[in-house]
Amino acid sequence: MRFYFLALGTLVIVCVGCADGQQLVHKDEYHAPPAEMLAHPGPMVGGPGPGVMAMNFPPPGIQQAQYQCPPGGGGGFPGGDAGCGQQTTQLRFLGPEGMQIGWQIGQGFAEHQITAPGRYNFAQGATYRLKLSGIPGREGLTVYPTLHIYPIQSQTSAYLSHNALPLRVNDEDLDQIETNNFVTKVIYLPDAKYQELAIAGVEELVSTRLGPGLDPVAEADRRGTIMAVIRMGNMDYEMPGQSNALGKNGEKKAIDLVDGETGNFVPPQPIGDFHPTGGNIPGDMLMGGSRGPGQPPYNMIAGVNAPMYGYPSVGTPIGLQGPPHIPLGRPAGLKSHTVRNLTDVDIGEPVDHLLYDVRHEPGIRMPHPAKHVEYTETHPVYRPGETSVPAWAN
Amino acid sequence: MRMTARTIWTLLIALAGLNSVQAQERTGRYYPLDHRKPLGEVARWNASIRPAVANYVQPVQVQLPSEGDVTFYQGSVNGAIVLPAPAQVGMQVGHAYRIKISNLPNHPGVELYPTIELLGRLHPPVELKEKYPVPVEITAEELETAINDQMVTKVIYLEQPQLANPTRQVNGRMHVESLGTQVNLLEAADMRGRPIAILRMGGRVPDAGSPEDQFYSTSPIILSGK
Repeated sequence: MRFYFLALGTLVIVCVGCADGQQLVHKDEYHAPPAEMLAHPGPMVGGPGPGVMAMNFPPPGIQQAQYQCPPGGGGGFPGGDAGCGQQTTQLRFLGPEGMQIGWQIGQGFAEHQITAPGRYNFAQGATYRLKLSGIPGREGLTVYPTLHIYPIQSQTSAYLSHNALPLRVNDEDLDQIETNNFVTKVIYLPDAKYQELAIAGVEELVSTRLGPGLDPVAEADRRGTIMAVIRMGNMDYEMPGQSNALGKNGEKKAIDLVDGETGNFVPPQPIGDFHPTGGNIPGDMLMGGSRGPGQPPYNMIAGVNAPMYGYPSVGTPIGLQGPPHIPLGRPAGLKSHTVRNLTDVDIGEPVDHLLYDVRHEPGIRMPHPAKHVEYTETHPVYRPGETSVPAWAN
Repeated sequence: MRMTARTIWTLLIALAGLNSVQAQERTGRYYPLDHRKPLGEVARWNASIRPAVANYVQPVQVQLPSEGDVTFYQGSVNGAIVLPAPAQVGMQVGHAYRIKISNLPNHPGVELYPTIELLGRLHPPVELKEKYPVPVEITAEELETAINDQMVTKVIYLEQPQLANPTRQVNGRMHVESLGTQVNLLEAADMRGRPIAILRMGGRVPDAGSPEDQFYSTSPIILSGK
């Protein structure tokens, strides 16, 4: 009897645990696929292939890139298709008014490219070094901030294609810089639940206005989607005698002649990008084989027509980068790896028979069609002499 | 013509964000799309799922608070068509268009570049097609908002007669309803009728001195009467 109650109690605990725990699929709850998947032309499925709806009309206008590429084109999501249009983020330098904005181009700087207030379209997914000079009331001060332009995301795509990001360097920022402090400004698009105003607009987090220990980038990432980060300090990148600024004999480099005041304008060159370390994803493993009648067999030779011997990572059939061969520096020894997709998926079975029930409310009521017709025709009867005579005959 | 009875209403994101209002704007159904999706994605879904409406040339009329010019693009700034407001052209369902608004009397020198994403079509008698276009009305308040570098998103929908709002249009102006930030405007429009178009407007302008991405639309414009 004791074992009976023990078994019963165990069963109840298991049942309660199943009811309260994580179920495979939550009822009355739906989750959208990732934004990248929603953007596929299937819809939600990349094509062409099974389940992809045929394109029977030309790609729409502005979003042409989104038809053939993920949102943001090749410069948007890492690993985007080659040949897609580069997306840009427009930055609007609001002030201080009269401030000169330049940027790094290779080993030198292009100066006086924009005068605040002004705007410029920066290619996304890159980091730039700016040069802020001629700041009114701060004679002699030159700041060399870095500007991170984040890749476009589904949440920010519509905003960035219609709005410019506002950036203002105010007196408080400049005071902090001159007193050896480091200023980080994060411009982000807040999620709807964190958005104070109902009209969509960006918000800005500044490190010097946050409490100690708070990271403005992490905080902005928690509240919404980051679009740009600018970091400013008082490091001088053009000190006299520095190799970047002057030639070997101390002469000015030709690159320094790029000056907007003389009519020279050069686009900024990124000093870094956001693409993941390691470059492109390696392709699937290739095998040798016969080429055809009269042709020599195709043999894979490491470093010639196959990846270099000791290639540190392998590709997977689903396009993800595989694990590295560890320990590094030794011949590759990995023989298999398994990637399991444990995502809960419930999208239903394909429909084989579809039934539509349609109904008008209220129903239709009309006179029923006749199924019996009586037709009686009366003819006049005339006796002799009463025959009618046409009038014209009189 | 019963189209006049079916006035077209618009929704505007504005300063009303009450939870009770948001709860009223939910149908209980699942909407994978909303008005915050990348430009053109909603129209593309509509055109893919309902190919019969794709590429239908729907007359669209852009209306401004007063005078002004409306410029339509066909691929680049060189193919621009400038018309005085109210400007009416034919746009194809499933496409998105970039237009320019300029020569505004109250905002001299200001140029705005809104986009119109055409989701669906109207069904007037064929001979009255040009007489009853989809009205895309831009108000003075919306212009001010966009000039201040904030974004305005409007969903224009065809009202369902049984759910018609019993208010009268004043001076022919459409009724604009302001909803909270967490409301899915496409869902709210679907509750009231059938979404036809999305208007998005902000302060971004093309910069001739910097590398330009695909800013202008390449979608075909059909001039009215052709």
